[in-house]
Amino acid sequence: MAGATQPAAIRRRAAESDLSVGRVLLVTAGALFWGWLVASWLNRWLGGVVVPVGEPFVRPATVETALATLPGLAAYAEPIGFAVGISPEIARGAWLTIVITTVSLFIGFFIAVPLAVTRVYGRYSAYLSLGYTELLRGTPLLAQLFVLHFGLNLGAYVPGALSGVFPRNVVWVAILGFTLNGAAYQAEYIRGALESVEEGQITAGRAIGLSRVETIYYVVLPQGLRYAIPSWTNEFIYLIKYSSLAAFITVPELYYRADQIAASTFRYTLIFAVTGLAYLALVLTASKLMEAVEARVAIPGLGADRGR
Amino acid sequence: MSVGAALALVAVVAADSVTAGSISGIEAGTSVVGSATVPFQGDAVDDWAFVFRNMDYLLGGTLVTIGLTVASILLGFVVGFPAGAIEVYGDGILKRLVSAAGVVLRGTPIVVILVVVYFVIGVPQVNLGVYTLSSAVMAGILGLGFRSAAYQSQIFRASLASVDDGQLEAGRAIGLSQFEAVRHVVVPQALRRSIPGFQNEFTIVLKDTSIVFAIGLAELLTRGYDLFAEQTTAVLEVILVISAIYFVLTFTTNRALDYLGDRYAIPEGEAA
Amino acid sequence: MTDESFLEVTDVSKWYGDEQVLHDVSFEMDRGDVTVLIGPSGSGKSTMLRCVNRLAEAQEGSIRLDGEDVLAPSTDVDDLRREVGMVFQGFNLFAHLSAVGNVALGPQRVLGLSKAEARDRATDQLERVGLGNQLDSYPAELSGGQQQRVGTARALAMEPKLMLFDEPTSALDPELIGEVLEVMHDLVEAGMTMLVVTHEMSFARAVADEIVFLDAGRVVERGPPEQLFENPEKERTDRFLDRIASHD
Repeated sequence: MAGATQPAAIRRRAAESDLSVGRVLLVTAGALFWGWLVASWLNRWLGGVVVPVGEPFVRPATVETALATLPGLAAYAEPIGFAVGISPEIARGAWLTIVITTVSLFIGFFIAVPLAVTRVYGRYSAYLSLGYTELLRGTPLLAQLFVLHFGLNLGAYVPGALSGVFPRNVVWVAILGFTLNGAAYQAEYIRGALESVEEGQITAGRAIGLSRVETIYYVVLPQGLRYAIPSWTNEFIYLIKYSSLAAFITVPELYYRADQIAASTFRYTLIFAVTGLAYLALVLTASKLMEAVEARVAIPGLGADRGR
Repeated sequence: MSVGAALALVAVVAADSVTAGSISGIEAGTSVVGSATVPFQGDAVDDWAFVFRNMDYLLGGTLVTIGLTVASILLGFVVGFPAGAIEVYGDGILKRLVSAAGVVLRGTPIVVILVVVYFVIGVPQVNLGVYTLSSAVMAGILGLGFRSAAYQSQIFRASLASVDDGQLEAGRAIGLSQFEAVRHVVVPQALRRSIPGFQNEFTIVLKDTSIVFAIGLAELLTRGYDLFAEQTTAVLEVILVISAIYFVLTFTTNRALDYLGDRYAIPEGEAA
Repeated sequence: MTDESFLEVTDVSKWYGDEQVLHDVSFEMDRGDVTVLIGPSGSGKSTMLRCVNRLAEAQEGSIRLDGEDVLAPSTDVDDLRREVGMVFQGFNLFAHLSAVGNVALGPQRVLGLSKAEARDRATDQLERVGLGNQLDSYPAELSGGQQQRVGTARALAMEPKLMLFDEPTSALDPELIGEVLEVMHDLVEAGMTMLVVTHEMSFARAVADEIVFLDAGRVVERGPPEQLFENPEKERTDRFLDRIASHD
């Protein structure tokens, strides 16, 4: 009922953020970051149409000499030149980071919804679901990746249709690990959201003759999943960051690439600063994206401001 | 076996940087366990025997894991609580600085944070008289601790903000200063409301201690890795055992914090 | 069987754990009748109402609706509920659906109408309750009175043969009660069979064919409104009506 005031609040928030200088800067930085990423990928896939594969768009030496002439930036000319030099590898690693994260999150969602539904509405299956989530949430992700990779050596059993999609089959092992792990966390968030849907909604569904399953599908889930968006955003962000652990089972994603360069050049500070920035950019993009999704599916009186 | 026992005794002290960081180091798979010289064979009984023979080594790693968790959580609290308060009550440059630091720490993978602290900042080892904390341990505590502070500040920020404004006004009305009103009226309520979020954070830190593997700190997971690098047929057995240990740790921690939450709950105070 | 009533409630008893909330409740009504259940809170009125569409399960006794045994194990509760509409005290509108979406959900998913047919039917029903101009509003954008009218339209869209009203105006601000009662009045005029739990005595008096007074899970007294309001047989009824009157 208080929701009647909400559209106004949204308009005001939009107006405020539009005016801020910080937002303009953030959007510009985001556009540059993604423009560079996509251009790098396209260049690689198309076999180096713009610059040879593995080469940056601008030669590091050019950047260095250009910057060296500027009085304020002369001191930073060399590190910036180096950063430009490693940028193709960063873009290459970021591609796998993004693929692993989004694929795992997407598949994990379809495991998480039934897990959450059985946890809330099931009888014996609720214990099965509880056992799964507790086990996966109670052990470190890295240990789970080790089980799949070192323990079961699943990389050797990737089906023919899937092998060769990625440079290394172990990428599928990472996706499996993050899917299974992420499903447990997503299930937990969705469970909480389903439980916050009022009992009267179910009663009303049953009263017009919907079956139990139909009521869950048509009434509870559409509301519960909207409540779940804020915490689901957290899971998205967690997964982006924790995908870096795939490096330890030799998946050549962002952190792995950075670590390889660092091991051969010993320029840890610069390399990890750049890598950290790349992760930060991915994380901020994900959270902005989810904000947009949330606004798009928002319904007056339903959503983040109520679901907490 | 004797090496394992010796290592278990000194727990945190022993937690030296064994495998010199970075993935290239891991691939080399250098091991610290010199005792077990079982010939290579895929006998399950033998593999379990290997695990149990080295149990004291793993339990030593468990102690390191626990010590690392507790130290990081404490550091996270000591830094995170004021940070949260600044985000609620502070203003100007300080508030902006705190929230920016939070965004960076929350937006960067913990493995990157740990590697930066260890290799880039290069924290020195600290001599506590009885113990010497190696620089890997220091890096682990600082990295996990500050990252946790960034998350804990959000927990406290939310719970401080959730305390009704009327509470502060009522405090001022009986003659408390702003600081006293926050300290004696708002904080006690906010801390209780933080327990569920804190519980979550505690288990996250506990599980993430495993990522100090990246800087070669010999906690539970790293020791497990060392063991199965030693006897490669026992990989699954070793990982199952260390996973079970982690599970017991998170499970008991959760139950203990549940108990704490129930004990200090304010009647009808669950509205948070 | 020849002169069986449309709804026959016979000796219905129900327990929650050890506590008996309904004691041998009996009443019956014919097609087109309006029966109003009154009584103090906790007297079992709402529970009795919910036993009719089996949102609550009666443990003893029988309920027959239009010749069908409601409580038989073979009765499909979903079939039963599509023939019995219900309006709730707390509205219980589907929070994620607009007014028209709320009303159309049942016709589309339960009766199998096409999306367009369901929407048409929903529009008709919303116009009937005077909300033709609020079709696309979400529950949170409607006043309580409007929400309850949507709730009524939602039940009517299933073309029920019996309507249950569970204190439909109790959650409303006083100035919003009138619009809901007006809709209910129209339904009575249209010949709808209605079983109503309410505290609105003047409404009960005006439209009811029979009043059933429940207290502590028992039927204390029942009869036409004139008799029950003017000359209650039982002292308990008299006291209850006095107390209600002094509140009005």
